[in-house]
Amino acid sequence: MTTKDPYRGRRIVAAFLLMMGFVLVLFRLFSLQVLQAEELTARADRQHRKTVTVEGGRGGIYDRQGNPLAINMDVPSVFGVPASLENPSGVARDLARVLHIRADEIEKKLKQERSFVWIARKVDPEQGRSLERLSLDGIGTVLEGRRFYPKGPLLAHVLGFAGMDGQGLEGIERRYESYLRGEKQLVVLQRDALGRTVFPKGLNEQAPAAGHTIMLTIDEVIQYITEKELDEAVAASKAKGGIAIVMEPRTGAILALAISPKFDPNIVKGISADRWRNRALTDAYEPGSTMKVFIAAAALEEKVMEPGTMVYAENGRMTVANTVIHDHEKSGWITFAQVIQKSSNIGAAKTAMALGEERAYRYLRAFGFGERTEIDLPGEAAGLVKEPRDWGRRSLASIAIGQEIGVTALQLVTAASAVANGGWLMKPYVVSDIRSSQGQVVAQFGPQVRRRPISAETARTLTGIMEGVVTNGTGSRAAVSGFRVAGKTGTAQKIDPQTGAYSSTLFVGSFTGFVPAEDPRLAIVVIVDEPHAEAWGGVVAAPVFRKIAEQALPYLGVSSRAPVRLAMASY
Amino acid sequence: MSRRGGLQAGTLALPWPMGGASAKGGAAADRSVLAVTVVLALVGLVMVFSASAVVAGNRYHDSIYFLKRHLVWLAFGFLLLQASSRLDYTVWRKLALPILAVTCLLLVLVLIPSLGVVAKGARRWLRLGPISVQPAEMVKLVVVLYLAGYLTRKEGRITEFARGFLPPLLVVGLLAGLVLLQPDLGTVVVIGLVTLGLLFLAGARLVHLFGLVPFVLPAAAVLIWKSPYRLQRLMTFLDPMKDPTGAGFQVNQSFLAFGSGGLFGVGLGEGEQKLFFLPEAHTDFVLALAGEELGLVGTGAIMLCYAALVLKGFQIAARAREPFGRHLALGITLLIGLQALINAGVVTGMLPTKGLTLPLVSYGGSSLMVNLLAIGILLSVSRDRQGGQGGGIGGR
Repeated sequence: MTTKDPYRGRRIVAAFLLMMGFVLVLFRLFSLQVLQAEELTARADRQHRKTVTVEGGRGGIYDRQGNPLAINMDVPSVFGVPASLENPSGVARDLARVLHIRADEIEKKLKQERSFVWIARKVDPEQGRSLERLSLDGIGTVLEGRRFYPKGPLLAHVLGFAGMDGQGLEGIERRYESYLRGEKQLVVLQRDALGRTVFPKGLNEQAPAAGHTIMLTIDEVIQYITEKELDEAVAASKAKGGIAIVMEPRTGAILALAISPKFDPNIVKGISADRWRNRALTDAYEPGSTMKVFIAAAALEEKVMEPGTMVYAENGRMTVANTVIHDHEKSGWITFAQVIQKSSNIGAAKTAMALGEERAYRYLRAFGFGERTEIDLPGEAAGLVKEPRDWGRRSLASIAIGQEIGVTALQLVTAASAVANGGWLMKPYVVSDIRSSQGQVVAQFGPQVRRRPISAETARTLTGIMEGVVTNGTGSRAAVSGFRVAGKTGTAQKIDPQTGAYSSTLFVGSFTGFVPAEDPRLAIVVIVDEPHAEAWGGVVAAPVFRKIAEQALPYLGVSSRAPVRLAMASY
Repeated sequence: MSRRGGLQAGTLALPWPMGGASAKGGAAADRSVLAVTVVLALVGLVMVFSASAVVAGNRYHDSIYFLKRHLVWLAFGFLLLQASSRLDYTVWRKLALPILAVTCLLLVLVLIPSLGVVAKGARRWLRLGPISVQPAEMVKLVVVLYLAGYLTRKEGRITEFARGFLPPLLVVGLLAGLVLLQPDLGTVVVIGLVTLGLLFLAGARLVHLFGLVPFVLPAAAVLIWKSPYRLQRLMTFLDPMKDPTGAGFQVNQSFLAFGSGGLFGVGLGEGEQKLFFLPEAHTDFVLALAGEELGLVGTGAIMLCYAALVLKGFQIAARAREPFGRHLALGITLLIGLQALINAGVVTGMLPTKGLTLPLVSYGGSSLMVNLLAIGILLSVSRDRQGGQGGGIGGR
């Protein structure tokens, strides 16, 4: 059949024409992409410089009652259009007077060959109004959102702060950046009939959507109480700093998180990172005697000990691996409950040895030590729990009294909450829900159980022992009248950075506990770093616990138990 | 390079031997056509994602909004391709007229205001449940099917005017008229050129073909004059720099994209032009984005793919066992080749702006499905080749 095909010539012509078309396109592409590339690239660059990114307002951050903690304020930013300026130096002088910026700096900006320059970002509204009164040609203002923290330093370490371009740099602002950030829009600056660059009209009609709103589990009032009491205690004991966390034991929700000293997120220029670090979760420390609670939990759960089990406290002196362990209160035979209540180092060491390395390690990990709590805040540390194969001969005894182990304040309060709530280790969280700018709930966060280190019965027994710490032990100053308090003091020697050995003058005093013991509503950890004079956790930290609980419990509407009312009536 | 049809030997070298392997005969579908199709589809997938991610993220809060849809269409399209390449292509001869009738109906339906969906000033989409289809895209392939059947029936009589040359022009003219009402001039131009090309290749008399010129030119002039946007597009084409922010905006932005890309491109996903400057970066102007991100290397490779597809198409036509297969293969080749050329011409500013996609690459379900179906039919024709005949473009 093909031999009869008379149109082969026409096919060749058609194919040839099409191929010529492709050759033409290739030549054209070569011309655009190679010969004219430089000129076109330059034009594209110029065009891109003529764009301004307009962003929807950053979302706000609110506490659990809806009180604003971080909001956006629209403040004027001043820009210039150098091309339409006839007298840049005169304009620069006028601007300098209003904005309090050096005239020569402004002049330099105004003499650039650009169609748009920022002169000053986010200035005072009053300065913006003065500029508008001057109505300089080629100078304009546009409203931009500036981050504002209406409560100043309150909750600063959790909130973090945002930079000049509204980018979250620390804390919630950083962790939830993608939600808080407003929608971005590229706007091509247009020219009007006079060739002036202007923002397109109707910008507000199609304004980009604002960022999401973040609702915290934090309660502004409890946060205020916590910060006030912590700051006072740190000041009174001339300590280096302090940490206090208030948690809802049943849910893991953080009600307050205070760091001392504080800072004001409205003024972060010149403040070192050391000041704004959220040390409650970024820094691990040796907790001291507080650890005894969790060793005791393991011993009770494993039935190695019962509250009434008698332990010989060696009259305050015991040798372990060629080193000596002391008790600050010399005792002979005491009950296991008294080991915790009197905070006997020897008793705790013996308990840990009775448990054995493997079980002690397993329970510490089960309580969440040595791993991140996965709280929704940036920069969390895992702490340090060595594996048994890396332990020395004294390690088991050391860990039992809170040495050779690094924990964060957040890990401590989370583990204490597990004792308080019947054995459930919860995942701590600070954000309860995220809402769109229209108020729709986009994401919601609730309690999340991570695991269950101990049974309800063990938790109950341990709570009883910990109540004894407050009623007739080292933590008596944590007692809150009208409520049963369970807790444990901790006094840890710090390692002297100069000698590398435990210092005899640098201490960390702490108190970890929860209240009311029979139905815990608050789990609180208070840590005072390097107090002067008295360093005992029972002296420097326990009173802070009491003061926070005394004010927070009535605020939350928790009623005290009946017998106390009788007791109060009697005096 | 093809041995006997040596006219184009100097213009293009194919990366694989033509004719050699298949000269042994056998009924396998042409692998190189399939390979080029897959390459173009993959390039399209990557470019569509790169082009649309930012816009989709802004508009739908889902940066893979277009990518997901494109993937679904590609999957369906390739199923269609596989099915049609296995189907005996002669069934299309019997189906051509019924399909033609249905297409006419759809073209009328889309014009009814309550049924046709308007987008960007044209009534082009028919909403069918969750998807919307563009009947105008189907028309292109339907015209090829109809003409292939017609030319086979009238083999030898096409040189007569009234009984050979005129009737298909009237039928295609009716379809073109319906498409023009949407309005969609780009599609009309493509089906017009494909029709003329097929008539030329089937042996229509040159006197008849050139005789059309005095009719077509005034009609085109009237169409352009009577619609302000076409006139504006034409003026813009003649002097794109005159009004860079207005009507010339698209082509200007396209130039900037090509120019910024240079020889090797700025890198995948790095293109800045797609950020709201280059309109339709994922549909009609996808080649410009490829130019920016992949450079001349990328755009050149894409154009060479189409050139290769065209040459293979002519080769398949030349080897087709029967006239229907030959006309079908030629029609499909012209359809894809011409559309690619016109799109490239528009995007590089050599032709006035028309709403035409880059076949197999651009985002757009209807266009993708129709083109993949067309390739499937082409593959089916390639199975039915004459054994042992090398042929090249001209055949023997």
